[in-house]
Amino acid sequence: MGKSKLMSLEEAVARFVADGDVVYAGYLCIPFALTHEIVRQGRRDLELVGASVVWPTTELVLAGCCRRIRSGYIGGPLRCRDIEAMMATGELEYEDYSNQGLALMLMAGALGIPFIPTRSFLGTDYLERAEEHPGRIPGYKRLQVMESPFDGQRVVLLPAIRPDVVIMHAQRADEEGNVQMWGHLGDARWGMWAGRKIVVTVEEIVPTEVVRADPSRTVVPGAIVSAVVHCPYGAHPGGIAGYYDFDYLFFARVMAPALASREAFARFKEEWIEPGVSDRQRYVARVREVIGEEAWQALHLDRHVRPLAPVDYGYSAALNLPRREDLV
Amino acid sequence: MSEDGYSLAELMCIEAARLMPDEGVVVLGLGLPVLAGALAKCLHHPDLVICTEVGAIDWRPDPQTVPRAPIGIHDLVLNEGSAMTTDMVDVLATLLMGGRVDLGVLTAAQIDRYGNLNTLVIGDYASPERRLAGTGGNTDIACLARRVIVLMPQEPRRWVERADFITSPGYLDGPGGRRRAGLEPQGPNLVVSTMGVYRFDTPDGGETGSCQPVLEAVFPGVEPEVVQALLPWPLQVAPRLREVEPPTAEELRTLRRLDPFRHYLVPGRY
Repeated sequence: MGKSKLMSLEEAVARFVADGDVVYAGYLCIPFALTHEIVRQGRRDLELVGASVVWPTTELVLAGCCRRIRSGYIGGPLRCRDIEAMMATGELEYEDYSNQGLALMLMAGALGIPFIPTRSFLGTDYLERAEEHPGRIPGYKRLQVMESPFDGQRVVLLPAIRPDVVIMHAQRADEEGNVQMWGHLGDARWGMWAGRKIVVTVEEIVPTEVVRADPSRTVVPGAIVSAVVHCPYGAHPGGIAGYYDFDYLFFARVMAPALASREAFARFKEEWIEPGVSDRQRYVARVREVIGEEAWQALHLDRHVRPLAPVDYGYSAALNLPRREDLV
Repeated sequence: MSEDGYSLAELMCIEAARLMPDEGVVVLGLGLPVLAGALAKCLHHPDLVICTEVGAIDWRPDPQTVPRAPIGIHDLVLNEGSAMTTDMVDVLATLLMGGRVDLGVLTAAQIDRYGNLNTLVIGDYASPERRLAGTGGNTDIACLARRVIVLMPQEPRRWVERADFITSPGYLDGPGGRRRAGLEPQGPNLVVSTMGVYRFDTPDGGETGSCQPVLEAVFPGVEPEVVQALLPWPLQVAPRLREVEPPTAEELRTLRRLDPFRHYLVPGRY
């Protein structure tokens, strides 16, 4: 039995997320529970990276936890005029890439190489004008055009990103931290591999035998995972394949208004993060009260997509291989 | 909404769906391209290989029972009947940069006379009037797909002489622009607006021709003069101007069934 990585949300954030960290927070299986815990613990000066950064980043900026973004799509945050203003004044630093660019930068980080070439970005204004905006990050060198030394083909070089910590929500893991995910992964596969520390909340903790009987579904091995937290509904109001869908009703009624301004978020924080709600169980109970039981049930799946045939990773113990001495 | 009870945005999606090829690998960009692509898959071109950049490859829903077009490019409905669910590097790098994507379907905040798109900022990048969410995979698809269909409402704020910031190359500064930048040729590219269809004058993917959009079809009742009045450059019109067929009852029914929450075709938006 490997070492247990299982711990509470509070302990995982306290031990593995530090002020000033570069954080990858995914964007499909959204780590809302981890984000709320980071807000609760009041981390400062975080840099959020990811192909597309969405609502956790909005929350972290509005909570004063995040001061820098590097991304291909600043989706959630830019619905908030306060954040747009912070970007215009340089109070929030940022760099713009594309989804492919950022995903490749994480891949380069994961591979331990300093940069990676792409054939995207050629001809765009990113090449010449990327440094012009008010939120530029001092000292960064980016988007270098070069000709391949092998065939002269023009490519754009992107710098590698190695996040200090990855926060992620996944379907399941065992206690050793072997994380299994299925469905669309976005940039999560490379985001996780790139992380120096990996903290994952999961819908279910399963016996390690379950993982080891279906190891192709493991996206990151426990050997490099720092913490696993059992946290059902850890992606809410986001969804996760096989468990629950995106909660558009809660999002429209509670979350979108809360992310519209600093003041609105401060009220949301009091009610939904602290002191109003101290943990995920109480959060879920409040959500059910607010949206009603019928809407809560509608989040859960009425269309299933499951394997129609079991898979077998089997092998032969008997093995049709003659013993060495019989071959002489 | 026209007298026949369909909106111009509905016809834009329907005509874009019709214009997609019968086969090939397609990557759908965020927004109306997802609805148009879902319609094409469910009605016009069932053999299209539909992909989105989050990792969905060859989405094959049951056209009769699929509850909706994907809301966004990551909707879990994409898990139903997909041949492969994987990640962004596989779609935007291995498939797309590997030269395996036949068509990208995109939209943007702005398009200019050489088909360049802008998804990032309105006004100057250094002091923007509006900062937008940004490009996602739009840049990558515009750089690397073999051809592109753009859905672009015919609004003066969207059709500009030069994109405020070229996030996604069309033909850049005209003939030879893509080659000079190090990009592959691309075409024939199409734009479907809320008034008609344009085909770029690029006989060889951007080396010759005007590399500008030529109006080749108009929506029922639309005169080219009306389109010209909404464009900041002299409109080129094809010698034989086609009229776009109005939606069939089946097209309209399917389109509306795929958008049950009016997520895409918000009433009164276009």
